[in-house]
Amino acid sequence: MNVIRFIRLHVNSWSIMSIIFTLLILSPALSIFFQIFEKPNENWAHIQEFLLKNYIQNTLMIVFFTGLFSILIGVSLAWFVTAYRFPLRRFFKWGLILPLAIPPYIGAYTYHGIVNYTGVLQSTLRNEFNITANPAYFDIMNIPGAIFIFTIFLYPYVYIITRAYLEQQSASLIENARLLGSGPLELFFRVIMPISRTAIIGGASLVILEVLNDYGVVSYFGIQVITTAIFQAWFGMSDVASAIKLAGMLMAIVFLILFLEKVLRGRKQYSYSNAKVRPLEPISLSREKTILLFGYVMFIFTAGFLIPFVQLFQWMMMTYEKVVSPDFLQLIFNSVYVSLISAFIIMIIALVIGNFIRLSDSPWSKAVSRVTVLGYSIPGAVIAIGVLTFFLWLDRHLNTVYTALGIDAPIILSLGLGMLIFAYVSRFLAIGFNPVDAGFDKIGRSFTEASRLLGTSLMRTFFKVDLPMIRGAVFGGFTLVFIEVMKELPLTLLLQPFNFYTLSTKAFQYANDEAVHEAALASMLIILISGLSIFVFHAVLEKEKK
Amino acid sequence: MIMQLHDVTFSYRNTKEKTIQHLSMEMEKGEILTILGQSGSGKSTVLRLIAGLEVPEAGMITINGSTMFDQKTFVQPENRGVGMVFQDYALFPHMTVAGNIKFGLKKMKRAEHDERLASVIELVGLKGFEKRYPHELSGGQQQRVALARAMAPNPSIILFDEPFSNLDADLQIKIRDELRTILKKAGITSIFVTHDQADARAIADRVILMENGHILKTGTPDLILC
Repeated sequence: MNVIRFIRLHVNSWSIMSIIFTLLILSPALSIFFQIFEKPNENWAHIQEFLLKNYIQNTLMIVFFTGLFSILIGVSLAWFVTAYRFPLRRFFKWGLILPLAIPPYIGAYTYHGIVNYTGVLQSTLRNEFNITANPAYFDIMNIPGAIFIFTIFLYPYVYIITRAYLEQQSASLIENARLLGSGPLELFFRVIMPISRTAIIGGASLVILEVLNDYGVVSYFGIQVITTAIFQAWFGMSDVASAIKLAGMLMAIVFLILFLEKVLRGRKQYSYSNAKVRPLEPISLSREKTILLFGYVMFIFTAGFLIPFVQLFQWMMMTYEKVVSPDFLQLIFNSVYVSLISAFIIMIIALVIGNFIRLSDSPWSKAVSRVTVLGYSIPGAVIAIGVLTFFLWLDRHLNTVYTALGIDAPIILSLGLGMLIFAYVSRFLAIGFNPVDAGFDKIGRSFTEASRLLGTSLMRTFFKVDLPMIRGAVFGGFTLVFIEVMKELPLTLLLQPFNFYTLSTKAFQYANDEAVHEAALASMLIILISGLSIFVFHAVLEKEKK
Repeated sequence: MIMQLHDVTFSYRNTKEKTIQHLSMEMEKGEILTILGQSGSGKSTVLRLIAGLEVPEAGMITINGSTMFDQKTFVQPENRGVGMVFQDYALFPHMTVAGNIKFGLKKMKRAEHDERLASVIELVGLKGFEKRYPHELSGGQQQRVALARAMAPNPSIILFDEPFSNLDADLQIKIRDELRTILKKAGITSIFVTHDQADARAIADRVILMENGHILKTGTPDLILC
C-alpha cells in the first residue's frame, strides 16, 4: 500500500522530468567529484609541490581584499545615498549600479590601455607636461591592480542589496540613534553596519563568487590563481586529471564561502514584520561636508563607469570601420544564437522544475530546488571541466556503440556546440529559475486547483492557467539568461568549438593579442546589453514582485 | 445518497497528529450541509479530500454512486464532477467573466456553451458583465462569478470554502440569503465550510460540528446551535 500510495502521490510526468533534468544539471559536478580522488599523475605532483601554494595564496588574497574593499565602498555609498542630501543624489542612486554593466575583464584591459606606456595617461604627461614618469608607478598588472579592478566593478552587488535594505529599515531606528546623541561615525559603525549585516554578507558573497568565477582579469594581468591553473592544465598540458583536481579545489573554496555566509548570517533576520515602513528622510550637511561627500561619490562613479566607458567609446570610434565586417556580424550571430537556445532550454527546464516543486510536497522537491540554484555558485571553469569530462566519458561509451552498429561517421559530442550549451544551462539555470519560482509563489495553488476542479488536466491547466499568469516572470528570466550567456567568458573559452567565437571571447582575444582598441566595439555591445540586464532586473522583475 | 465518506483518515506531511480521523458522513441529493468548526479542526481538509486535492491515507469516498477513493482507486480532481468556490475565489485574472464561466464546459458541445453561460449568468444576476475582467468587479460580484463558474459544468456537488470571509458584514448577510435561494432553485447539493455560527444557521439544512479531525455532533441548525 505504501509504495502504491507513494507512486500515486508523487509520480507524474512533471516529477519524472524534474528528476531527469536535475540529474543532468548535476552531472558535471558529479563527474568532477568521482574523478577527484583518482590516482594523481606526475604533473599533479609537480603542481602540488611547486605551484599550488602560490595559486591558493593569490586566490585567497584577491578574494579577501576585494571582499573587504567592496564592503567599505558599497556600504558607505548605500548609506550616503539613503541618509544625506547632495547634488545629483537621485541620479547616483541608480548611476552607482552602472559599473556592474562593465564585466571586470573588459574593465581590466581598458584600464591597462589607459595607464600603459602608450596609453592616454602617460602620453599626456610626456607630451603636454614633458614628464616621463617611472612606468612602474603605472603598472596595474599585479595583485593590487586586480583587486582594484574587481572592487571598482563589483562593489555594486554590496551597494544594491544594502541600499534596498536600508531603505526598508524603519526610519525610527536611525532617528532614535540620532536623538540618543550618536555622531555620524558612531551611527555608521555601531548602528548601520550591524543592522545591515545580513545584507552586507549577502552582497559580499556575490562579489566573492564573481571573483572566483573570473578568468579574464587574472589571466590578462598574468596572475597565477586556481582558475588560470585550470586553463593551463587543460590547454597547456592537456592534463584533464590535474584540471579536475584543481576544479575540485576551487569548488571546495566556493562551498566554504557559501558555508561561511550561512554561518555569518545566522538566524538573524532583522526584518520588520511591520508593513508600514516610513522611509528615512535624508538630511542636509554643511557646505564643506556636502562637497566632500559629492567628491567621493563622483570619484567612484567616474572610476567605475565614466572613465572606462569614455575610453572604450573613443577606441570604438577609432576602430569600428576596421572591425565591422561579415566576420563581426557572424560573431553577433553566434552570440545571439547560443544565448537564445540556452535561454529557451533554461526557461523550459525552469518551468518544469518550478511547477513540480510547487505542486509536490514530496521530500525530494526541496533537494531539487537546491540543486537547481547550485550551478550559479560554481565557477564557470569548474563547470566547463565537469561538462568536458562528462562528454568525453559519453563519447567513449558512444564509440563502442558506433563500432558495434558499424557506423563510420560518428558524432563526437565533445567537439560540438551542444556541449557548450549544456554547460550554459547547467551554470545559469538559477537565473531563469528564480523569477519563475517567485512567480509561482505569488500566484499560489488555488488557481491551479480551481482549474482542475473544472475538469482540466494538470498539463492543460499548466498551459491555459499557470503559464499565462506568470508570463511576466518567464519573460524576465529569459532576458536575464540571454544576457548572462552573452557576456560569459571563462566557460565559453574552455568549451567553444574550433573556430567558433562569441562577442566576449573575441573581445578577450583581441585584448590578449595587444589589440585593445579593436576589442572596443564588441566590449561596448556587451556593456550595453549588460546595462539592459540591470534595467530588466530592477524595473521589470522588481515590479513583478510587488 | 449522493456522496459518502467512510472511515477516512488523513494527515499532512510532516505532522504527527492525524488531521482527519476515521471520519464518516453522507449526503442526500439537494441537501445544503454546513461544516462548522474552529480553525485547525480539519473542516477545510474534508473539502479538499472530497475534491481530490488531497489523497486520504485510508477509507473510502464515493460520489454519485461511483468510487472516488479506496485502496485501489484514486480519481483525479478533474474527473470527479465536483465544483468548488474558493475562499479567495481564484478567478482567472487573464480571462473575462464569460471566459471564466465557460472554462469548465469542455465536455459540452460547443453550441451549448453560450446557452449554458447565459443561463448561469442569469441565475446569479450578472447579466451584462460577461466582458468584464475579474479585477473590474466588486467583491460580491466576484463571488457570484465564482459560483456561476462552479455551477456551469453541472457538478454533482459544490463545495464552498469559507465563502463569506472576504465580504463586508452587511453584504455577507445579503449574499448568504441570495445564495441559499439560488442553490435551492437549482437543486444543487452543496457543502459550506465556515467558523461562523450565523452563516451556518442562515444557510444550512443540516450542520456538522467538527473538532480535532472528527465529528462532534450533527443535526439541524436549531438542534446544534442553541
